[in-house]
Amino acid sequence: MMALQQRFPFPLEENSYFYSNNLKPLQPPCCIQLTTEYFHEVAEKRRLLANHPERCFHALPGTLAAQWEVVDEIVHQLVDTYPDCFTLENRGDEWTFRNLLLNETEQFTFGDSSTLPVQPLDWIGRHVQEDLLLMVQRDDDLHLEAGQLCFPSAWSLTFDLGMAFHEIHRPVPWNHELAEKIRRFLLRVEAGKPWTRVNWAMHVGRRLDLSPEAFHEWGPARYQVSSENVADEVQFRVEEQCVLRLPGSNALLFSIHTYLKSVGELSQNPDWAQKLHSVLVTLPEQVAAYKGLTAYRAQVIEYLERCQ
Amino acid sequence: MRHDAILTVRVAQIHQETPVVKRFTLVPVGTDRLPPFSAGAHITTYAAFDGRVLERNYSLCNHPGTRNVYEIAIRRSDNGQGGSAGWHHHIRVGDTVHISPPKNHFPLSQRARHHVFLAAGIGITPFLSMMAELRARNGLFELHYAAPSRSYCAFREVIETSYPESRFYFSEEGMRLSPNVLCGAKVGTHVYICGPSSFIEAFSQQAEAMGFPKSNIHAERFTAPTPENPRPFRVTLRKSGRDVEVAAHETLLAALLRAGVRVRYACRAGGCGTCELGVVEGEVEHRDVYLTDEEKAANTSIIACVSRAAGDRLVLDL
Ligand code: HEM
Ligand code: FES
Repeated sequence: MMALQQRFPFPLEENSYFYSNNLKPLQPPCCIQLTTEYFHEVAEKRRLLANHPERCFHALPGTLAAQWEVVDEIVHQLVDTYPDCFTLENRGDEWTFRNLLLNETEQFTFGDSSTLPVQPLDWIGRHVQEDLLLMVQRDDDLHLEAGQLCFPSAWSLTFDLGMAFHEIHRPVPWNHELAEKIRRFLLRVEAGKPWTRVNWAMHVGRRLDLSPEAFHEWGPARYQVSSENVADEVQFRVEEQCVLRLPGSNALLFSIHTYLKSVGELSQNPDWAQKLHSVLVTLPEQVAAYKGLTAYRAQVIEYLERCQ
Repeated sequence: MRHDAILTVRVAQIHQETPVVKRFTLVPVGTDRLPPFSAGAHITTYAAFDGRVLERNYSLCNHPGTRNVYEIAIRRSDNGQGGSAGWHHHIRVGDTVHISPPKNHFPLSQRARHHVFLAAGIGITPFLSMMAELRARNGLFELHYAAPSRSYCAFREVIETSYPESRFYFSEEGMRLSPNVLCGAKVGTHVYICGPSSFIEAFSQQAEAMGFPKSNIHAERFTAPTPENPRPFRVTLRKSGRDVEVAAHETLLAALLRAGVRVRYACRAGGCGTCELGVVEGEVEHRDVYLTDEEKAANTSIIACVSRAAGDRLVLDL
């Protein structure tokens, strides 16, 4: 069986950080990454979906056709990119999908939601590490109308459901002109030409699920960072995101793969440690606050200096 | 969409719709499925004639619900040149051609309570998929279709049968499609215009003058196809007075970076707008998907990673 990959898309290219439209063409055009954390993360997703269905999956009525398009897209990406791990046999609309990693087989009729145990987007999301969001394009705007979100970076799908692009991004401390440029760009994304970008933030405690609903579980730890625990507890969190057009519904699929490295692990790479250090030193206070690192920024800077 | 942004299809049927319009039925090759498409979508075709690959955009005119078949209708251009002539004279049943996945820059409004379609000539094509879609979901619409004559009116019979309330305007019979058809439109009406650019300009302006909000006026404008042969040009940097030569094989962005000019960029694919530069003089041949049609027409900026000078020279605000 194909080895799962070790992957960490380090996002900082320069010694300073500012918001920009950092989308790049996605090459090869596959938005799913299978990493060594596959088993752990898929199990964690399924656990969260079972225990907190109300915060992990939502779909507005009218999104089923687009959800099926996501199934079509992702199943084909999986079997084409990872043929050792996933297979598909289909006779017309009768599909048999096998996940060889988990030793699971699902038979269903493509397009008939009654033949799946859960909604199509929810179903396919349980086979990948990515969070999957569906942005429906209507009258020159994009609305978040369905999503499976298990590993949010401090935002709530329940709260954002139905919102347009600008409303979703209201908390981001960037300028509106940039947001509008990005929105306009997204309206023109074409099928067959997917895009990707990376985003980063920091938090304390090794967990992927940073739901606002569970803030009491992870939020307070940011005030308990010390020079003893900074290396292990403070996490550098990277989101690798992809945007692709679904031509049948004209909706966009937005995928998020979240990666964690502790500051200690990260400092094994001197170039990464140096870049993160410079970025943290120069990061505007507003952005630092938004990314949740004000409380322990000084400790991380000090730690990175000790490592050099 | 599968992995390749270019699809291969076979011409399964060719149907002569009028003396100058042919309809081509395209089916998948090497797979049993074509990506689905939405009402108003088009594809880019890459057909090779005399060794030259010509990129042309054509609306899909079959029902968006039909799977694994695309239909396009092509009018032979009057001068008998270019892509449409190639399609008319050289493409035979059984030929394979390359196409893009479906794109949609002309979607139906989901907010509209009533849709008015204004078509001139071959501009009818996107409306065929839109009307089929609206009929399937019981949407309200009306079609006004201008053509030279009955026999030169593509899809007349299908339209008369399926949408008998449609209005035709045959110029040879002295009938004219006038903006008056928009008079008395109810609140929530959206207008869609497709045809020659003079037709689009005239009717969009009229609709605006009659009080239609801009967001309720939709026009089909295809993005310009990638020109076959990029030409070299020169840019003058206004502030420094320097000249930089852009060779045929390189982009403006590459030439500027090579010359040591600092230009920010990210996607290098005409999408993100990071490399936008101000233009002081000279006409731009826009090839990006970032600037709006209005911004392109204003000719005050250029997306350096993909766009070029239309002529020999540009003066940049650098
Ligand atoms: C189209 C689908 C997208 C969705 C559903 C989405 C959703 C979100 C959400 C929920 C947040 C967190 C907002 C909060 O704090 O409540 C966010 C933040 C952000 N988004 Fe997006 N976004 C999308 C596309 C993009 C794109 C294409 C870009 C840039 C090119 C972008 C740039 C950002 C940035 C810079 C932040 C702030 C992140 C940080 O500083 O940590 N987003 N987005
Ligand atoms: S670099 Fe993105 S548009 Fe030129």
